[in-house]
Amino acid sequence: MHRSVRAASLVALLAWAVAVFAADQVRKDYHFKVHHRASVSIFNQYGPISVRPGSGDQVVVTAILHSDKAEIDTRQSGNRVAVVSHLLGGADADSGRVDYDVLVPANANVTLHSTTGPLRVEKMRGDVILEGNTANVDVRDVSSGHVHVKTLNGPVTLTNVSEGHVEITSVNGDVSLKSVSGPLVHVNSTSGKILYDGDFGDGGEYSLMTHTGDIDATAPAYASIDVVASSERGKVENDFPLQPAHSSFVSRAGSAFAGTMGKAASSVKLLSFSGKIHLKKR
Amino acid sequence: MTCEEFQRVLPELEGGHNFEQEQHLKTCSRCSELISDLSAISQQARLIGATTEEPSPRVWNSIEITLRQEGLIHEPSPVAGRARVTSWRLSWLVPALAALLVVFGVVLHRPGKQPSRSAMSSPPVVKAVEEPGPELATLADEEQLLGMVAARAPALRADYESDLRAVDEYIRDAERSARSNPNDELAQQYLMNAYEQRAMVYEMAMDRTLP
Amino acid sequence: MSAAGTGNLTDASRKHSKLTEAEAIDRAKQGDADAFETLYNLHKRRVYSLCLRMTANTAAAEDLTQEAFLQLFRKIATFRGESAFSTWLHRMAVNVVLMQLRKKGLALVPLDETVESEEESPRKEPGADDMRLAGSLDRIQLNHAIGELPPGYRTIFLLHDVEGYEHNEIADMVGCSIGNSKSQLHKARMKLRELLKTSRAEKATKP
Repeated sequence: MHRSVRAASLVALLAWAVAVFAADQVRKDYHFKVHHRASVSIFNQYGPISVRPGSGDQVVVTAILHSDKAEIDTRQSGNRVAVVSHLLGGADADSGRVDYDVLVPANANVTLHSTTGPLRVEKMRGDVILEGNTANVDVRDVSSGHVHVKTLNGPVTLTNVSEGHVEITSVNGDVSLKSVSGPLVHVNSTSGKILYDGDFGDGGEYSLMTHTGDIDATAPAYASIDVVASSERGKVENDFPLQPAHSSFVSRAGSAFAGTMGKAASSVKLLSFSGKIHLKKR
Repeated sequence: MTCEEFQRVLPELEGGHNFEQEQHLKTCSRCSELISDLSAISQQARLIGATTEEPSPRVWNSIEITLRQEGLIHEPSPVAGRARVTSWRLSWLVPALAALLVVFGVVLHRPGKQPSRSAMSSPPVVKAVEEPGPELATLADEEQLLGMVAARAPALRADYESDLRAVDEYIRDAERSARSNPNDELAQQYLMNAYEQRAMVYEMAMDRTLP
Repeated sequence: MSAAGTGNLTDASRKHSKLTEAEAIDRAKQGDADAFETLYNLHKRRVYSLCLRMTANTAAAEDLTQEAFLQLFRKIATFRGESAFSTWLHRMAVNVVLMQLRKKGLALVPLDETVESEEESPRKEPGADDMRLAGSLDRIQLNHAIGELPPGYRTIFLLHDVEGYEHNEIADMVGCSIGNSKSQLHKARMKLRELLKTSRAEKATKP
């Protein structure tokens, strides 16, 4: 009896807390009419931003403000829409948090900035530019558009991205690319780990470069690549039977290798100053 | 002249028409309307050149960071200030010395008190000012940057400090490698990437739209 | 270059700015940070608007603006005053944008200049007789229509009619013949005319 009373009190207390908390939250909706290849920018210090395609020629922004210490400024100039979270004095990561859910035309160009994120973009055909300090970045099912990501410490995951340029710069965040291909795929990291699982296709230029992070690349047996892999201080492993490349590159057992597979359609560079490199066959 | 013949040569006409073309325009309302419309488009296009849109402050921030990174901006520093004072002193030294010599000469020839040997034999010395090495300057820059971050978002200071340490180590390794292998393209690539990483940390720290 | 435009400062703001352009150029050559900023503020709007019109993307336009100014500042020591500074900067900005468009694999000029297209042959005009553009066309409509042009047509049209480059200059920059530049400009204008008239016809039929 005593236990059930305590349990009931706890549930009531929780419900009250949720109600109080939710009462401070305010939902705001914005609609913008746009045309072909609109540009949409969202600046949000604290809180998630999620972008996906909607229907029709419009941008629909749903924002949840977690306190009255944040305001939203919007600006439309022709085909360009900008939404900015404006923090008032005394706002912190909790009170200044705004959650964004954004629907845009699939061919819109999207730019997102956030400190904490997370940032999520999916099923787009326009350019995607994401910047975050510690934000977790997740981009999936993007084709034809360019994807540019800059992050300091947040992990970056790209899944099923093709036909555009991919450029990722991360200091400490790990970078994971799954089924990513295109004319240019560049990853530049200081200490983040780089994971690639794809086919290095499209006759592209692939460069995965890090200072101390490890590089783990997995490709199918039919991959058509001209590959160079080198680590100054780390170990280098290769599962592919490479044909020797006609270049002045000097292979060093355990720390560098180079060669071609198939028609050598794509150029692949796996470079780590002191991390390990492993080119695996799927 | 037919409409087809007229419109075929239209791309080559830049406002001027020959007699035959003029005659055709006088009698053909369709081609006349076409010319008028294309001219309106071209004239209105010239007015589009005037604009009030401008890029966000981030653009200048990024440019400034890169210029500093590449050494294209030479800010007046405390050292440079001292160097300027030093050069001021040097530029006045010669006439000052000359004046002193004249004074001493006059005094020497006067009967009475002799100046002390030490005063005559030790002209004023300007100390050579040492410029701080590049590492000290970088540390000072970084402290300033971390101060800015702490003022705007104290919770992020530790992260930025750790990031700066990591990229500085990258730069040191890359510079060492490039020095040992000056013709190695790979070493150059590492160095460029390392600087790009540092530039990004600075850019994000100075981005006034975000903490 | 016959392009007009010498900067974006009004006379009032020129009076109050600390440095004139000539002074700023001299000081920038010596690495003065304020001088760089002055030059940037004098010309940022024009460069940015060019980049924005050619890419129709604010983020890309900002990146290209940044790149154009960086290239300029890196080479400023070599500027001898043979042309106006704004001309030199503008040309650099155009080259930066064109390089970016090439990198993206966008055809700067439609490839085959010899193929006859629909626009070159006389055709029935859409809309009623009172749909003349002259006297009733405004910048907003035209801006919108320019955004609808294919990238190759848009490039040539912007360079010639908006930015004021001559065909020989465009041919050099874009890598085509003068004849091709003239032909593509004509096609761009014809396409714009069609877009503007269609848009008007649609508006006229709406209740």
